[in-house]
Amino acid sequence: MSEATSNPTRTTLNIGAAMLAWVVPGAGYAMLGDVRRGVLAGAGVLGLFLAGILIGGVDVVDRTEDSLWFAAQAGTGPIAWVADFANTELVKAGRVGELIEVPSGDPRIPAQPEVSSLKGVARPNEFGTLYGAMAGLMNVAVILDVLTRRREGRP
Amino acid sequence: MTAALLAYLPLLEPLPGIERIWMLLLLPLAFGISMVYKAMRVTNLDRYWRSVGVMTVQIVLAMTGLAVLLTLLVQVVVPMLPAE
Repeated sequence: MSEATSNPTRTTLNIGAAMLAWVVPGAGYAMLGDVRRGVLAGAGVLGLFLAGILIGGVDVVDRTEDSLWFAAQAGTGPIAWVADFANTELVKAGRVGELIEVPSGDPRIPAQPEVSSLKGVARPNEFGTLYGAMAGLMNVAVILDVLTRRREGRP
Repeated sequence: MTAALLAYLPLLEPLPGIERIWMLLLLPLAFGISMVYKAMRVTNLDRYWRSVGVMTVQIVLAMTGLAVLLTLLVQVVVPMLPAE
């Protein structure tokens, strides 16, 4: 007899499955035996995250310039760090596109660092950032659900 | 527009032309949120896609209603208030 059945008020925490759910969105459910639910949840989280990057470009994930948004986006797991790395190494470093000067228009303001010609602005950047943040926050909800969910086939 | 699409680098730069239809971006956002939420909440996954569709419509209608209310507040109610 397991602890969960001997004491119905006690909830068993699926810590391993919850950690896996953060690393690979949806995989936590699969680890608990509910593969179909995992595929659907993972497709939703990753779909939102990738749609955000498609809409606003990889610049929507920026750990240094948009740290609060990144805190929410990090809920999607290591893929957020991969996107931030791609943004830093490809776009912000000028390996793709070109770096352009930002005119200040005011001689009292010191020269600004060069920015990429691929940097996102306005609506596409706002929505892309929001999509990524929503993906991260929804995956946090999935992780919490996986943490307390009963395994498939158990009472 | 065509030239912008030809030069477009997917995933590296913003989607061209999205500024003109930005309000429609609510639809896939609501659909994605509903997909994840219903994957957590629905007991019988045979009714999953129907639940996702219903929740997507609910979100869109709620956001549209809020937009209408806020528009009325800003455009009609606030101008009627005394200046001092």
